[in-house]
Amino acid sequence: MKRLQTLKDDGGKAFVAYIMAGDGGLDRLRDQVEYLQGTGVTAIEIGIPFSDPVADGPVIEEAGNRALNEGVTLDKVLLEMKSWDFELKIPLIVMTYLNPVLRYGAERFAESCRDAGVSAVIIPDLPFEHQQLVAPYLKQAEITLIQLVTLTTTENRLHDILDAAEGFVYAVTVTGITGVRDELTEEVKEFMKTVRSKSPVPVYAGFGISKTEHIDLLRDDVDGFIVGSAIVKAFHDNKIEDIEPLIDAVTHSNPV
Amino acid sequence: MTKVKICGLQETEHVKAAAGADAVGFVFAPSRRKVSVEQAARLAAELPESVERIGVFVNADLAEILEAIEKVPLTMVQLHGDETGDLIRSIPVKVIQAFSVRNQKDVGKLEQSIADYVLVDAPGIEYRGGSGRTFDWTLLEHAAIEPGRLIVAGGLDAGNVRGAIESTAPFMVDVSSGVERDGKKETDKIKEFIKTVKGDSMQQTKGTEKDNGFFGRFGGQFVPETLMRAVKELEEAYAEAKYDPEFQASYHSYLKEYVGREQPLTFAARLTEAWGGPRVYLKREDLNHTGAHKINNAIGQALLAIRMGKRKIVAETGAGQHGVATATICALLDLECVIFMGEEDIRRQQLNVFRMKLLGAKVESVTKGSATLKDAVNEALRYWVSNVGDTHYLIGSALGPHPFPTMVRDFQSVIGKETRKQILEKEGRLPDVILACVGGGSNAIGMFHPFVNDESVRLIGVEAAGEGVETNRHAATLTKGTEGVLHGAFMKLLQDENGQVQEAHSISAGLDYPGVGPEHVHLEDIGRVEYNAVTDEEALASVISLSRLEGIIPALESAHAVAEAEKAAAGMGPEEILIICVSGRGDKDMATYAEKLEGLA
Ligand SMILES: Cc1ncc(COP(=O)(O)O)c(C=O)c1O
Repeated sequence: MKRLQTLKDDGGKAFVAYIMAGDGGLDRLRDQVEYLQGTGVTAIEIGIPFSDPVADGPVIEEAGNRALNEGVTLDKVLLEMKSWDFELKIPLIVMTYLNPVLRYGAERFAESCRDAGVSAVIIPDLPFEHQQLVAPYLKQAEITLIQLVTLTTTENRLHDILDAAEGFVYAVTVTGITGVRDELTEEVKEFMKTVRSKSPVPVYAGFGISKTEHIDLLRDDVDGFIVGSAIVKAFHDNKIEDIEPLIDAVTHSNPV
Repeated sequence: MTKVKICGLQETEHVKAAAGADAVGFVFAPSRRKVSVEQAARLAAELPESVERIGVFVNADLAEILEAIEKVPLTMVQLHGDETGDLIRSIPVKVIQAFSVRNQKDVGKLEQSIADYVLVDAPGIEYRGGSGRTFDWTLLEHAAIEPGRLIVAGGLDAGNVRGAIESTAPFMVDVSSGVERDGKKETDKIKEFIKTVKGDSMQQTKGTEKDNGFFGRFGGQFVPETLMRAVKELEEAYAEAKYDPEFQASYHSYLKEYVGREQPLTFAARLTEAWGGPRVYLKREDLNHTGAHKINNAIGQALLAIRMGKRKIVAETGAGQHGVATATICALLDLECVIFMGEEDIRRQQLNVFRMKLLGAKVESVTKGSATLKDAVNEALRYWVSNVGDTHYLIGSALGPHPFPTMVRDFQSVIGKETRKQILEKEGRLPDVILACVGGGSNAIGMFHPFVNDESVRLIGVEAAGEGVETNRHAATLTKGTEGVLHGAFMKLLQDENGQVQEAHSISAGLDYPGVGPEHVHLEDIGRVEYNAVTDEEALASVISLSRLEGIIPALESAHAVAEAEKAAAGMGPEEILIICVSGRGDKDMATYAEKLEGLA
């Protein structure tokens, strides 16, 4: 995760790609990760399917349901990742809802993540005040727990959350769920500026980023972008090449 | 939690000892405890911000009261004389009006008071403003006064205050002579008194939430960060409203004038005879406007939403009862209303869907997952996340992130409070067994909560066993579920070994939910409440018996409680008393009854 800070220090912008593990079968995951690595993304977020993904919009929810129908589980995803023998040059981040983690056991989860080469974890329904349930085990396994901040996060909370932030901060660009959006507001720009001015780690904008216009709007106010639904949809439609211009829009000016 | 007031303080040392109380009183009326305004100001300066400073007056004029409010400064005023409504209205801080209560007539006077709080005192002997003799608590049992407005005083001490709290559940207890020796306050006694009351409140947490929204290990606020602010704002708004007499008065007035409360506790003579066991009573939530208990909660939350400046409401519904209750209140209070309902439930509860639409609500069909209640909650949560600025999520059961489970319980507790009062009136004692059906758990927790500390009362929650708990088509979360997080709370769930939430199955749409509210999980965990499961078939059989024996066609949900009651009654004697919460009427289930019970008619 250190390279994220280095990238920022060098003036580069990060592109984090989200994929739903097992959408189209778990055997696709490896190819997808290798492909994305080849396109030059900064990091990959691997989503674990969950029956009740309340933070997600229809694209990711449907992908999750397809994965569940394929019999994909947290355990299987981590085992699959552990088996990989190709060279991984970028950090892998696991994004999962809390319940599968609790069921699996928080300590065992942290250990399995470490064994699978996971660098960081995002749990959208684990708010700051309840992080003790999982955080100590992740720390033990040297895995970063990514903090989320949103447009509705109050000033005091923002302060506390940023204080604990490691790796990068996930700044949610919409008051809503994940999904492909047409427009982002000026309010978002102001919010990103505020978060960035206070954050000790790079700030990445996520939720609803699906077009180069979104990236142009926020480029100067964030350190990177997280793109989910657009990639999940492109993989599902077998049109992943269509996403490359978006990746390039973020990374093409990066120092090498 | 009951608050503590230490009254009649004159010395700095005693004021400091009272710093752990919620309020202190300074007496400005003739009394051996009288202080001057200047003295009171000096003493008040020793107290933490959070402690209320209350000035006690007897027939003082407004100028004198206003001067003390300004100079001390006082945060509340307590009146012990024959003050008029006009005077009370002119006082700019909250007012406590004290009443000497000897008999039922005195209780009547206190019920008329327009003050924010009423203080009940034993009759004065020497000076007005307190006598030091203990009061006959039973006089208050039937008083039409909200516990949230009630302050109890008169002869309290560390030895008897717990009894007073238990019998009256007041907002605050007030002590003066009980923390004195030879007419002088004593530091140790003050501290002991505070500890006894606060200790008692710890005792009460047996069935109650702690500040962080947990019931034992269960509950919490497991929601996406986008919702945290809304959840915290709601927590604050509710904490205020809960103790605001005006809010409570408005809530209770809607219950009375609009819902038609209080509802009878009907003696079921033929059921009693047929079962040959205990005397059976039915708490008649089926008589509520809109046909079920759900409206008790919908009114409370809608009033809270308005108080918070939100005029848009989103809700989920299973059987449609909560949706109808919400749509009804939104029509009444001119709020915008969106209801999410699973496609499968829309199919089995068509009448309610039409009712909601007729009432002006927008009904959104949810086709995802099992297309039932769980999925409707997911969609309602997503909608809330996206519209959190101007929208209140009016959740329909004792579920969700804190403060929802507590708030819904409080709004539904009117069921248990009325029942308690009614059974004491009718039988002169508490019942032996109380049963209620459990979906998310709101009618059950509302019924149980006022009895949780009465250890002699056996409480039984009844879940839906669907086609049988040994099949995988049931909704028996407490019987068969495991611990996990869903919809904002750590509770029990029907889930697979990978933490994927499973579909619940019940013939009754209102019980068809794979989780159960966190307070129930806690009450089961500590062994206070038993939870049993009843199958579709057993519930249907009870629909017939209640209809034919008592002329009451129950909702399918409520029929589960009746079926379990019949089993419980089998082991009980004629001296015993059993109460069933009939959470709703069967109108909405008529299509199911017509289909399943065909050939009966
Ligand atoms: C009549 C009736 N009883 C009970 C329930 C179950 O809900 P709860 O467990 O919250 O009381 C419902 C839910 O729709 C209902 O309509």
